Amino acid sequence: MEFAFTPEQEALRSEVQQFIAENVTPEIVAELEDTGIRRRGPKTREMYKGIAERGWIGISWPKEYGGQAGSRIDQYIVEEEFARVGITVGGAGSGAPAILAAGTEEQKQEFLPGIIRGEISFALGFTEPQAGADLAGLQCRAVRDGDEYVINGQKMYTTAAHYATHIYLMARTDPEAPRHRGISIFLIPMDTPGITVRPLWTIQNNPPAPLGTTYGDARTNETFFENVRVPASCMLGEENQGWYVGAMGLNLDRVGASRYLISIQRDEDIVNWVKDNEIEGIAMREDPTVRDRLADMWIEGQVCRLMTLRSMSIVESDGVFTYEGSAEKVFAPEHGVRTTETIAQMLGPYGQLLNGSEDAVEDGVFAHNLMGAFQSGINHGSVQVMRDQVARRGLGMPRV
Amino acid sequence: MNVLPNEEELMVKNAAREFLEAECPPSLARAIEQDERGYSVELWEKMASLGWFGISLPESHGGGGLPVTYLGLILEECGRAIAPVPFHSTATAALAVARHGSADQQQAILPRAARGDLIMTWAVQEQDPRLRADAIQCRAEVDGDNLVIRGVKHFVDNYSAAELMVTAVRTAAPTSDNEGITLVIVPTNAAGIAETRLTTLAKDSQSKLTMDGVRVPLSNVIGEVNQGWPATSDMLDIGTALLCAQITGAARKDAEMAIDYAKNRVAFGRPIAGFQSIQHLCADMIVWTDGAQLLTYEALWKLDSGLPFGVEVSQAKAFTNDKCQATVRSSQQIHGGIGFMMEFDLHLWYRRVTAWTMRLGTSFEHRARVARALLDQPGQVRLGMNLQPVG
Repeated sequence: MEFAFTPEQEALRSEVQQFIAENVTPEIVAELEDTGIRRRGPKTREMYKGIAERGWIGISWPKEYGGQAGSRIDQYIVEEEFARVGITVGGAGSGAPAILAAGTEEQKQEFLPGIIRGEISFALGFTEPQAGADLAGLQCRAVRDGDEYVINGQKMYTTAAHYATHIYLMARTDPEAPRHRGISIFLIPMDTPGITVRPLWTIQNNPPAPLGTTYGDARTNETFFENVRVPASCMLGEENQGWYVGAMGLNLDRVGASRYLISIQRDEDIVNWVKDNEIEGIAMREDPTVRDRLADMWIEGQVCRLMTLRSMSIVESDGVFTYEGSAEKVFAPEHGVRTTETIAQMLGPYGQLLNGSEDAVEDGVFAHNLMGAFQSGINHGSVQVMRDQVARRGLGMPRV
Repeated sequence: MNVLPNEEELMVKNAAREFLEAECPPSLARAIEQDERGYSVELWEKMASLGWFGISLPESHGGGGLPVTYLGLILEECGRAIAPVPFHSTATAALAVARHGSADQQQAILPRAARGDLIMTWAVQEQDPRLRADAIQCRAEVDGDNLVIRGVKHFVDNYSAAELMVTAVRTAAPTSDNEGITLVIVPTNAAGIAETRLTTLAKDSQSKLTMDGVRVPLSNVIGEVNQGWPATSDMLDIGTALLCAQITGAARKDAEMAIDYAKNRVAFGRPIAGFQSIQHLCADMIVWTDGAQLLTYEALWKLDSGLPFGVEVSQAKAFTNDKCQATVRSSQQIHGGIGFMMEFDLHLWYRRVTAWTMRLGTSFEHRARVARALLDQPGQVRLGMNLQPVG
């Protein structure tokens, strides 16, 4: 066991912190806060180039695709520091882990360097109106026609679809096969004719959630595919093996720095807030009940941290998850909700005030979290499905 | 950074598990509950021959010189097997001597402890059982070359089995910086100690001791008179970390018994393991014990790395108390009626884990300590940072 980062890793962390202190200017913060441009304003994109130049994106990827062949832990450190100021760098959700694992040489060359330069990004096309937690029931069809596939169907909650360059699409290629064995994955440019993106507005729409809110996005999308023709070379992995390729990517998507920070950042926020603030002369830091609850949250936050480090340790030692990623995805989101709801009861009526309101606490971040924290128990695999996986894969309990 | 046990650590842990699975059936723990001596001499001697008792004691005194983490891994397995031996109390007291004792004390005690020739315990808590200096009221006065002790020590483990006990006494009035405590090695057969045996939920050996003019030579004092609180607190922290290891081992075994039972118990025409309500409870039990284990390992690692580890110990104990209790209670729930029949073994684990959660600090005490570290010193906090304990 080794719970400390190496001196080199600590130096990397300091370097990233210094970069952030020097480069995340008030102008960039203003861009990050503008949910309309969704953290992709011109100044932010310019800064992103500087991040890429330092080799901080895709650190663990092979050098031939623009990475550093470095450690997954180093990548975690960089992602954590940027996520703390609201900037996503690389990240498992980029689709890259699955491309690295299952892509052809051409696909790796086509996508990975572009992802590192910030020129390529993916929207995830998994969920459908009738296939959410039960993803294997998806109906979006891809039919082979010569060297092409023709795609028809609808995807829900394709959050980045209005600015991503590509969609990482799961579609049914064999309707006769057992449902898990008739699915394939396609990497498709968003500007392909026949794709239509329509906004779905979330409960964070108005007023906009402040920076640092868990799931503060005002907008997600539904994406329609009407006779969308793509070359067969868009397929990732083998035909009808898409469920397994996708599961691999999802497993990696459920762990890592941004996933961890979604659930714990408010532990730090509230402790630091309570240390320095009072409400009308009431010092909550002196209230024994509040102190007990804060310590309780803090300890749970440490468990989230340690479960994330465990997942990182497994990835780094080339191990295989049996249930650990799912365990983390049960404990952390539910912890985040417990903390969020506890903070609400600490702040009382001040806790309900949204961004821009008179007397809102910290721009209303705690109030907006009450609309966002529970989403992390739903998105990317609900905590109920995660418990199924712990029980079945981890504990060998039978399918119902 | 790799929080998984490494190859050497796993080797020791797995060897301990194999040995205990062969040598320590539940029937042994059950039999010892009725045994006057309170532990299995046979098992103790076999464990001694494996060198376990000295594993983390200094090599210069016949120990293995390995980090305390290894001792924690073995005690985790002892918890799993609910091994009825006075290992935890001996290890806690021996480490206090190893970390704070004089060269003479170490020479007299550690080689014997490492061989398993010496059973020890610790005596800090009193009728006010809180783990803080000002709760220590048991008085001691210097009389020539002796310390004379008068007062009560409560919840002392394995008193009748032990030969020595590392005891915290009050030698001066409390001060704001916790002076006035003296840590001293007391032979359990010293004249003037009256023992009352307690009947515990775990049905193990705990006693209340009344000390009336117990005379101990000053050479038995660990460190300086009146300056014993830091060593006492260190001993309590190490004992608490080791107890967390023992609890998590027992709770995980208890959870595994529920999972196995659910796979075999048929109701409504199928094994109950097929019901999601049972699956999700089992998933939670594993997530909880994983969390307790990770917190415990981090505390032990910090101890071995020479970092402040008191806050991590309190984190581990508060979480372990609550979540391992929930785990063993859930296991009882899954077992239904048979789980609380005397003839069935499950209660052997339930009663121990439950009793252990109440020892060496409640969840409230440990969370209060975490809160002090978070709130009562300046500066911003961040998860994963090194936090200094406050009080």
